[in-house]
Amino acid sequence: MSEPRAVGRALPRTEDRRFLLGQGRYLDDITIPGALEVCFVRSPHAHAEIRAIDTAAARALPGVVAVITGADLAGEITTLRMAPAITGVRPTEIAPLPSDKVRFVGDPVACVIACDRYVAEDAAELVEVDYVPLPAIASMAGAAAEDAALVDATVPHNLVAEESFSAGDPEGAFRRAAQVVEARFVQHRQTHLPIETRGIACVFDPGREHLTVHTGNQAPHPLRTALAARLGLSESQITVISPDVGGGFGQKIALLREELVVAALARRLGRPVRWREDRLENLLASLHAREETVTVQAAVDGLGRLLGLRARIEADMGAYCFFPANYMMRVVGMILPGPYRLRDYAFDLRVHLTNKCPAGPMRAPMAITSWVMEGTMDAIARALDADPVEIRRRNLLEDADLPYVTATGERYHSISSRGTMEAALDGLDYVAFRAAQAERRDRGELVGLGICNVVESTTYGSAFYKAAGIPGSGHETATVKVEPSGACSVAVGLMTSGQGYETTLAQAAAEGLGVDPGAVRVLIGNTDIAPYGMGARGSRGAAAGGGAAYLAGRRLQEKVLAIAAHLLNRNSSDGLALEAGHVMQRAGGGLQPSGLTLADIARVAFLDPLGLPDGMEPGLHVTTSYDPPPMTYSNSTHLCAIAVDRVTGMVRIERYLAAHDSGTVINPLVVEGQLHGAIAMGLSGALFEELVYDDQGQMLSGSLADYLIATATELPAIELIEHARPDAMTPLGIKGMAEGGVMGSIGAVCNAVADALAPLGICIDSQPLTPARLSALIAAAKRA
Amino acid sequence: MTQHAITLDVDGERYELAVEARRLLSDVLRDLGRTGVHVGCEHGVCGACTVQVDGAPMRACLLFAVQLEGQAIRTVAALGDNGGLDGLQQAFHDVHGLQCGFCTPGLLMTLDALLRERAELDEATIREVVSGHLCRCTGYDNIVEAVQLALRRRAKAA
Amino acid sequence: MKPRGFTYHQPKTLDEALGLLAASDDAAVLAGGQSLVPMMNARLASPEIVVDINRLASLDAVRIEGDRLVVGALVRHESLIGHPLVQERLPLLSSMAETIAHWPIRTRGTIGGSLVHADPAAQWPLAAVLLEAEIELQSQGNARRIDAADFFEGALSTTLAAGELLTAIRFRLPSAGHGAAFRLLTRRPGDYAIAMAACVVEADRPRRLAIGGVEPRPLDRSGALDGLTTVPEMIEAACREVTPMDDPRAPADYRRRVLAQLVGDCLAEALRGQAS
Ligand SMILES: Cc1cc2nc3c(=O)[nH]c(=O)nc-3n(C[C@H](O)[C@H](O)[C@H](O)COP(=O)(O)OP(=O)(O)OC[C@H]3O[C@@H](n4cnc5c(N)ncnc54)[C@H](O)[C@@H]3O)c2cc1C
Ligand code: FES
Ligand code: FES
Repeated sequence: MSEPRAVGRALPRTEDRRFLLGQGRYLDDITIPGALEVCFVRSPHAHAEIRAIDTAAARALPGVVAVITGADLAGEITTLRMAPAITGVRPTEIAPLPSDKVRFVGDPVACVIACDRYVAEDAAELVEVDYVPLPAIASMAGAAAEDAALVDATVPHNLVAEESFSAGDPEGAFRRAAQVVEARFVQHRQTHLPIETRGIACVFDPGREHLTVHTGNQAPHPLRTALAARLGLSESQITVISPDVGGGFGQKIALLREELVVAALARRLGRPVRWREDRLENLLASLHAREETVTVQAAVDGLGRLLGLRARIEADMGAYCFFPANYMMRVVGMILPGPYRLRDYAFDLRVHLTNKCPAGPMRAPMAITSWVMEGTMDAIARALDADPVEIRRRNLLEDADLPYVTATGERYHSISSRGTMEAALDGLDYVAFRAAQAERRDRGELVGLGICNVVESTTYGSAFYKAAGIPGSGHETATVKVEPSGACSVAVGLMTSGQGYETTLAQAAAEGLGVDPGAVRVLIGNTDIAPYGMGARGSRGAAAGGGAAYLAGRRLQEKVLAIAAHLLNRNSSDGLALEAGHVMQRAGGGLQPSGLTLADIARVAFLDPLGLPDGMEPGLHVTTSYDPPPMTYSNSTHLCAIAVDRVTGMVRIERYLAAHDSGTVINPLVVEGQLHGAIAMGLSGALFEELVYDDQGQMLSGSLADYLIATATELPAIELIEHARPDAMTPLGIKGMAEGGVMGSIGAVCNAVADALAPLGICIDSQPLTPARLSALIAAAKRA
Repeated sequence: MTQHAITLDVDGERYELAVEARRLLSDVLRDLGRTGVHVGCEHGVCGACTVQVDGAPMRACLLFAVQLEGQAIRTVAALGDNGGLDGLQQAFHDVHGLQCGFCTPGLLMTLDALLRERAELDEATIREVVSGHLCRCTGYDNIVEAVQLALRRRAKAA
Repeated sequence: MKPRGFTYHQPKTLDEALGLLAASDDAAVLAGGQSLVPMMNARLASPEIVVDINRLASLDAVRIEGDRLVVGALVRHESLIGHPLVQERLPLLSSMAETIAHWPIRTRGTIGGSLVHADPAAQWPLAAVLLEAEIELQSQGNARRIDAADFFEGALSTTLAAGELLTAIRFRLPSAGHGAAFRLLTRRPGDYAIAMAACVVEADRPRRLAIGGVEPRPLDRSGALDGLTTVPEMIEAACREVTPMDDPRAPADYRRRVLAQLVGDCLAEALRGQAS
């Protein structure tokens, strides 16, 4: 294989131009003449029986076309049955709109369809719902209480998933231990907060019986499959077109109720219908995430080496299961050990239903794992009065340990955690930092350093899903085409929501095909154009999508060169190559132009098929599927240096460094951007964001003045150090990345604050690290 | 609902419209094809809807279109250099100052106004101004860098 | 998040505006709209009549009258930052204005709107109390002046009567060579403050200190400083009889803790800045 040329270049993105000129086409920008707009009527109660819904006044308002309730939709849409064949998971069902009771504040109970959103909101206020309030479950503790009310009558004790895992001999490890270190990690409720909220616009063509769906979605094909099943249509009767997407972060993957109802209404009314979620709805009732608590016990020897680990994982699923209830927590349990040597390991998990907004995966759904593992390393260091870096060195997997199969069966073949850690520590000058820290501590300053090693599971292959007992596939498919003029395109079923696929997939396909990346147009986000794809989830875009695009390109290059060889009267294509669209032939020591171009070949392939080698099909197109290895990992080490103000409790980030091994990088500019964004999201979540419910289940964070996210003034300049080791198993050595930054920054900043406050005897076991909380802890420590 | 007859000056074009008083400027501009005016919160916090009114950046979601008769409204559609990117846009492109692009037009309108007022800016001031806009994708570093790059290029060209 | 319908008026004269306000008992004045419109979009406010005062140019002026700096109700936060009279005679106002929200909000939001909105954590009510301002109110056929201390009643509540328009605020100008300082604590720059303090020190008058964001309305704590000489004593006295609010933004004990620091920093800076 020749040296990569298209891959690895820091090309500014193709898609930028339209966004910068204000010519992006996000959902709201798609004009659909005559489209009606909807507004959902939502529950003001956390838990209440619906006695009656009176829509008469709303229907009478001029401009209102219809008002629909759950009962109206019963025959039109099937319920969502979430019943994976996994032991320990309770099956649940979700109706399109609830008609018996509401389960959280914001639960949609009716839908107004009107000439525009203004009128729809007017009418929504006129819908009268007769509720009988029920006791509300507002926390995991409340859900588990002896006499707790049931969020779902079919789920006893509100316990929707429960499972245990054990590998090796944890009991033995704890018997052998010199010391057992315990720690607790409480993560709080957050939400994805894409700046463009969710939405959908649907057009039903009654003659063709075809539904066209415009919706900013990260996984258009799976969405189409779900829509077809719920609406009783065939997949080929639905086209899902994902326009430009203003951020997703996991909130725009699953088929949620609002989108489903709007699609059904377009069919029922025979008129285009659209809905764009407003910010209040987005905060109150879209998807929430991350409310999890993990408690660990670590058995260690006298040197702080980890002998065994027991973890108890609990999660708050909210009111409904739009995802298999154990799915995220099982992955948390599986990947928890991260880059550390560990044989004897057990975890159990419990997932609770509560009267709060349903939870779903958010960028780095397993983010808590790095905080837990790295916080545990720090706890061990503190218990032994040892240097936290030294403790990590004693436990980290070294190159010599690879390939390594973890206690949960994960196979690491190309991680380089020791390497990224040492690179990051060098970048910071660890020894000098500790010396300066000691001096500043003597002056009374609260200064801390947080270290976080991350192993990010980026790309789930089909074998992983099978092993984890989760229905799903990890393959991705790409079609690379050359048109008669020589114009190239690659179509993939992924959809971008800012990750730059229009640039990176072009680079990957161009690399395979042998053309300039600028010559490849990327066709994504349309189920009629792209082959079925599993969508942009996790960090699979690069390895799965990029891998498929590259392989399809390469196969098409083979055909191009076979035709070229024929035209050049050569016996085989050996010694031929396609470079920047020119057929090159080996001559002397190097490659010389043959005089043929891709356009020449395309002309023959399409318009002069008799000029092709015997038996060859006309045309130039290849569709290839690629199923990545069971799991691909990238890794990184994050260092965060902070100072805490003694009085105000404000955390100031003084330095932030990350050394990352993202394998072969398709586009360094894009990778750097993903790291920045992911790190920002983690820091913002740990320091600022918090969805607060009171004990009645009322949500108190219904505006962006209450739900704070970090801005340019709170976030640090981020220093990145590349420490790349190509993956041994994927095409080109791509590893993928996009979530590790979230994992690393949460762990690093939490550990940094813990380090800063440790001299006061303060233990940091929960987020968010708000100034008021830290200030109270410091004040209490001073009094003690 | 009563319709008000108004004349709006948007990006140098005059529009005679009949609008309901309650219609937000953000919605009306979008109806006029200025879909670069993005709606992200409708309570003034996110900044995605920011436009310029008589040269000053303002939240279009907190203005009613009826209020703006006779005032010059500029949206992202007025930026650019003969259909190409202007200096600030080019800098955003070159240093990867945008990802999903949803926050970008609002930021551009504020930063364009800023660059018209000031020839030099330190990083703290740039961060302060950028902090009036929420971006969920970039972590802001590259946005700050884009402003610095645009300033440097402009100084060199002068 | 779209507002309910309303009837819109854009008066060209003050009389016309006052007439419109007098004619309805459900009319709202629309100034910068940076507080009113978010509430209307969320349907938390839905006046029947909206009287847009943005065309009343007479309310958009800053001038000096004797020992008073008179600021018209319609003056935008942003234009106070760089105003020459403010910079020369009362730069404190400029540094306070800089901390209000963000640029695209400051270009529109007005001082009058902020005073009438009376958010406990807003900068202008604090400045009004600190600088012993008088507030000018007009209604049809009537005009009155009221001391700022009597204008603010509680959180989002003032003694503005139905039909009244706030036309100007008259800040007392401290003497030349005065020292002044303002401190606030926010989670992020531009957020409403968790607590704030402002202070003025003059050679010939008692020291002035006011605190905001802590109780439902700005507090004048100047009296507590009488006769004290050291900053620690003053901090203690100033914070003693304060009952901080307890809300999701900050618990009461947190407000109390940070207030002491803000007050101390503020006093120290103002004393340093005096006639140097
Ligand atoms: C994101 C964001 C952040 C903010 N942060 C801050 C901050 O940190 N500090 C701060 O102080 N403010 C902040 N604000 C509020 C801003 O300062 C507003 O401009 C101010 O509170 C209200 O002024 P306005 O001119 O916009 O008034 P409007 O919104 O037009 O009116 C507010 C209220 O006052 C009444 N009113 C207005 N003018 C008059 C008048 N002349 N006579 C009688 N009644 C009148 C209105 O009827 C209404 O009830 C923020 C706003 C936003 C959107
Ligand atoms: S939409 Fe106007 S500021 Fe968010
Ligand atoms: S680029 Fe996505 S919100 Fe800024």
